[in-house]
Amino acid sequence: MLRRLARWAGSIPALLPLGFLAAIVLTLVFATGLENFGLSFFGTDWNPSTGDPSKAVFGIMTFVVGTLITSVFALVFALGLSLALALSIVFYLPPRMSQVLAPFVDLLAGIPSVVYGIWGFWIVAPVFGETINPTIVRYLGWIPGLQGPVIASGVGIPLAILILTLMIVPVTTTLIRDSLRAVPQALDESGLALGATRWEVIRRVDIPYAKRGMWSAVLLGFGRAVGETVAVFMVIGDATKLPASLLDVSYTMPGALVGQLDSAFIQPNYLHALAELAIVLFLITFVVNFAGRRFVSRIVVRPTGALSVRGAGP
Amino acid sequence: MNATEDSLVGTSARFRRRRRVDRWLGRLLPFTFLLVILPLLDMVYWIATRALPTFSWATLTTNPSGTSGGLYGPIVGSAEILAISTTIAAAIGIAGGIYTAEFASERMAATVRFTTNLLAGVPSIVVGYFGYFALVLYFGWGASLIAGSVTLSIFILPYVFRSADLAFASVPKDLREASLGMGSTRVQYIRRVAFPVALPQVLNGVFLAMAIGLGETAPLLYTAFWNNFPPTGLNQPVGYLTGLIWNYYDEPLSFGTEVTMAFQAAFILMVVVIVLNLAIRIIGGIYARRLRGLYH
Repeated sequence: MLRRLARWAGSIPALLPLGFLAAIVLTLVFATGLENFGLSFFGTDWNPSTGDPSKAVFGIMTFVVGTLITSVFALVFALGLSLALALSIVFYLPPRMSQVLAPFVDLLAGIPSVVYGIWGFWIVAPVFGETINPTIVRYLGWIPGLQGPVIASGVGIPLAILILTLMIVPVTTTLIRDSLRAVPQALDESGLALGATRWEVIRRVDIPYAKRGMWSAVLLGFGRAVGETVAVFMVIGDATKLPASLLDVSYTMPGALVGQLDSAFIQPNYLHALAELAIVLFLITFVVNFAGRRFVSRIVVRPTGALSVRGAGP
Repeated sequence: MNATEDSLVGTSARFRRRRRVDRWLGRLLPFTFLLVILPLLDMVYWIATRALPTFSWATLTTNPSGTSGGLYGPIVGSAEILAISTTIAAAIGIAGGIYTAEFASERMAATVRFTTNLLAGVPSIVVGYFGYFALVLYFGWGASLIAGSVTLSIFILPYVFRSADLAFASVPKDLREASLGMGSTRVQYIRRVAFPVALPQVLNGVFLAMAIGLGETAPLLYTAFWNNFPPTGLNQPVGYLTGLIWNYYDEPLSFGTEVTMAFQAAFILMVVVIVLNLAIRIIGGIYARRLRGLYH
C-alpha cells in the first residue's frame, strides 16, 4: 500500500510537463473571457481604439502574414545552410575539423535572443538600409514583391529573415545531422562498392533514407521560427499593416503579444484579443511540433540492424 | 591490359566528371561554416566595441539610475531569478527524468517524453502570458521575483528533464543487471550505481537550462517587471539583464548612456553564455569518456 502510494507520488514530477501544458491552455482560454470577435478577428484591421474601447477592432491577419513570411523564408535559407553544414560534418570534413567547427553552430543556439536583437538593430540594420535593400531594389526591383520602398533605418522583413535564419540554423542542423548519421553504414558501403562517388551515394542513398529526419527539421525549425519573439520584434519595425513588399516593415504574432500587453492592462476587450492571439500562436506551434516530433521519434525507434550504428564516427 | 584497367578504374571523361563534382563539393561545402562563424565573430566584436570603452568596476557595482548608471541591480536580479528557477526546474526535471527512465512503463515513458518535447516547443511569450494571467493576476502574486522565477522555470524545465531522462536511460544495461542481480533495490541501484554514471549528463542539462534561462526575456517581461535595485523580497519586482536590454536598446543616442548600458548587459550575457557552453562541452567530454571507460 505504502509502496503503491510512493510510486504514485513519484510519477507526479513526470506528469508535470503535461500538467503545465494543460494549465497554459486553460489559463489562456480563461483569459479570453470567451469574448467572440466574430469574423473580423481574421481580418487585417487591428485597432485597439484605446480612447473608446467600444469601437475597437481586432483582426490578427497582419501579424499572421508577418509571421508566415519571415518564418517561411528563414526556414528555406536555414534548411539550405543546414544541409550543407550537416553534409560537411558527417561526410566531408575530417573528424578533427568537424569537432572544432561543429560547436560554433551550437553556440548560435546559446546566444540570447535580445543579444541577436540589439546586434541586428544597431549593427546589421544600417547595412541593410544603406546597401543590401537598395541593391535588391536596383537589380531585382522588377520582381513583384521586391520593388521597395526601402526603409532607411534598415529594419524590416529582410533583416528579420536574416536574424531568424541564424537563430534556427542550430535546430535544423542538429536534426539533419542526426538523421544522416542514422543511415546504416552498410548502405553507404554498398553504394561505394558499386562504383558510385561519395556525392552520388549521399544523393541517392543517404538523403532519401534520412527523409523523415529532414521532415522533422522542416517542421521543428518552422515551429521555432514562428515562436521566436524578442529578436524579431526588435528588428522588424512593428508596423500594424500589411507589408507593401518583402522589403517593408512588418509585425509578427509573438511580437504583438510581447509589445502590446502593457497597453492592454486596463482594457478588457484588448486583453481578451491578445489572449486569443496567444491561443492561435500556441495552436500553430503545437500542431507543427506535434507533427515534427512524430517524425523524430520514429527515426529513433526504427530497428537498425547489426551493421547500422554509425555513432562511432564523428 | 591498359585498356582493361582504364575501364575498371574508370578514367573515362564521364567518370572524371563524376569524381570532380564529388571533390569540389567536398572542398566547397565546408566553407558554409563561414556563414555561421562570421556573424558570430561580428556579433562578439561589435558588442565588445560598444560595451568595453566605458566598462568599469562601477558598471558592475552601481545600480541603474534612470538614464545612466551601472548594472548592479539587474545582475543580482538575473542571478536570483536564475538560482530560483534552476532549482525548481532541476528538482522537477531530475525527479521526473529518473521516474521516466527507471520506473515508468514503456507507454507512460513515451507519453511523458512526447509531452515534454511539446512543452519545449511552446513559444516563450506564450509561457510569459501564462505567468502573467495565472500567477501575477489570478493567484495575485503580482509582478515579482517569485512569479518571474516560476514562469521561467516552466520554460526551462524540458531541457533539464530530457537530459536527466536520457542520462539515466543510457546507463549501460549490464551495470543495471549486475546491480539488481546482486540484490540491490532499485533505489540503491539509482543512488549508488546509476547516479554517479549519469551525473555529468544531468549537470549538462542543468547548465543548458541555465544558459537558456539567463538569455530569456519574454517569460519575464510581465511577470518579473522591472526594478533598478536588487529585490528585497520574493514578492518584489526585479530587474534583470535581458530586461535592461529590452527597455533601453532603442532609446535615442543623445538621451543618455542607455544604449551603451544595453550593450554592456549584452556583453556580460554573451560572456556568461559562452562560458556555460564551454562548461557543457567539457562535461559532455567527461561523460563520453566515462561511458567509453565502462566497456574497456
